[in-house]
Amino acid sequence: MEPAPDSYVRQLWLLQLADSALPIGTAAHSFGLETLTVEEEVKVEQLQAFLQEYLCESGRLESAFCQAAYRLGTQGRDNPAFEQEWVSLNTRLSAFKPARESRTASATLGRRFIQLVMRLGDWPTLQLAWHAARQADVEMHHCTAFGLVGGVLNLGQEATGLAYLQQLLTGLVSACQRLMPLGQSQASQILWNLKLTVVEVMKQSKTCNYDDEQLSCFTPMVELASMRHPALSTRLFIS
Amino acid sequence: MILERMPLIALENEVGAKAKLNSVKGKLDLGFEVDQTTGATRFKIYAQQPPLRIVRAFETAGGGALVHLHNLSGGVLGGDHLELKIAVEPGAQAQLTSTSATRLYRSRNAELTATQLTEAKVGEGGLLEFLAEPLIPFAASRYRQQTKIELAPGAGLFWWEIVAPGREAKGELFEYELFQSHLDITTGGKPLVLERMRLEPQLRPLNSPARLGPYRYFASFYICRVGLTASRWRELENELSEIAQSLTRPGESLWGVSMLPADGLLVRALCLRGREIPPGLLAFWKAAKLALYGQAAILPRKIY
Repeated sequence: MEPAPDSYVRQLWLLQLADSALPIGTAAHSFGLETLTVEEEVKVEQLQAFLQEYLCESGRLESAFCQAAYRLGTQGRDNPAFEQEWVSLNTRLSAFKPARESRTASATLGRRFIQLVMRLGDWPTLQLAWHAARQADVEMHHCTAFGLVGGVLNLGQEATGLAYLQQLLTGLVSACQRLMPLGQSQASQILWNLKLTVVEVMKQSKTCNYDDEQLSCFTPMVELASMRHPALSTRLFIS
Repeated sequence: MILERMPLIALENEVGAKAKLNSVKGKLDLGFEVDQTTGATRFKIYAQQPPLRIVRAFETAGGGALVHLHNLSGGVLGGDHLELKIAVEPGAQAQLTSTSATRLYRSRNAELTATQLTEAKVGEGGLLEFLAEPLIPFAASRYRQQTKIELAPGAGLFWWEIVAPGREAKGELFEYELFQSHLDITTGGKPLVLERMRLEPQLRPLNSPARLGPYRYFASFYICRVGLTASRWRELENELSEIAQSLTRPGESLWGVSMLPADGLLVRALCLRGREIPPGLLAFWKAAKLALYGQAAILPRKIY
């Protein structure tokens, strides 16, 4: 029997999975940020504050689902209701995402993420999750896919939650670098400054369940930006 | 004088206890069913408990029933617990509206959060139109609402909600303590919409471009009909998006339309001024009702 990968390898797996260079298409999505920047609702000087609020709202919701998926992933096939719970988790998250473009973007990234990891190794729980979602005609979201993989690979719930939020933030900052005059150093500074927020959001969402009062999200400007994105005359991003 | 000698905590408890005694539990349990002889919708009141009250129902042009929801206390007071149950039986058509804006009054203390629970069930082929006037959360108000809507196969829904920043004419903007809203729209146990918002503007300002930005009023309009194909909803999304574009004036009002994961659409608006919202919602309602039901949308008799 092959020995279990040690913690160093797990850390490297997590770094790779959260890397913006992972070939799943993250760089093609702005999740409504493109509309907000084109209409100058978000400018460079407000960017850090905007991202902080974004993390506290959407980030917390996604982190809660990511960590719930992590717990499911650790149970794997030992949980007789695994398929049902995986389908339910993703169905519920879809219902939390009112803007079609952002919802579709999240589902596209989730599907590609799981597909990629399934090609990297043989994990029956991922196969099970994939087939359950296909059978139920349910989309698999990026945050749930990330959490599930984290659980299956035993990467640590907190570490997985942090890594998901970090790559979410990195993706948004990277999109902003293409949308506004944001330099490399300034972008790095923003990412650096928001580390404590990322940790706080991960902690707040650690034990949330779906009906928890802590589970709230109020981002109407971002949702409207995503809903109005298809009407922009020139677009760099798919969402 | 006696009160002045009481310890502060005892005084607060005293005030809290009195306020609790003054808070009310209002209830409305309403039913709408098809009269098998006439085909028109018949309205039934299973229970009503003040301050909520229904006076009468009116027949709508399409044979449905229109009901005005009254709150005899003129608004929602801290600690009030209000329940509204709506059962639209198969094939029935119900239209509900409030008589005026719902004022959410100041709460005397944090224990006195007002609550509104709404549960609606729409049977097969039934239609529920809930066209409420705005909610106005006063300074220091604390309010929680929980809305659950279950749609059977073929059931339809037009449900809008408008939230004001406060008593704007008085210069009172976002001075409320808590506005919490949970909304679940489901069909066959599957969620179509889950909305969880908790707004505490004193703790976390709402003017971030992630939240309301420069806008003050927000509105959501859910349009559903269970069983229509995704391509049909996409067509309607395109049609209504044109209306949204024509209504949008960045800096003053933003309108957007999006398909839900299944069986419906959401129209969302952010506006600087409240008066821009009702005519906008009306334009979407007219277009969507014609597209989905081939019927004209006629506003309830009131102030429009």
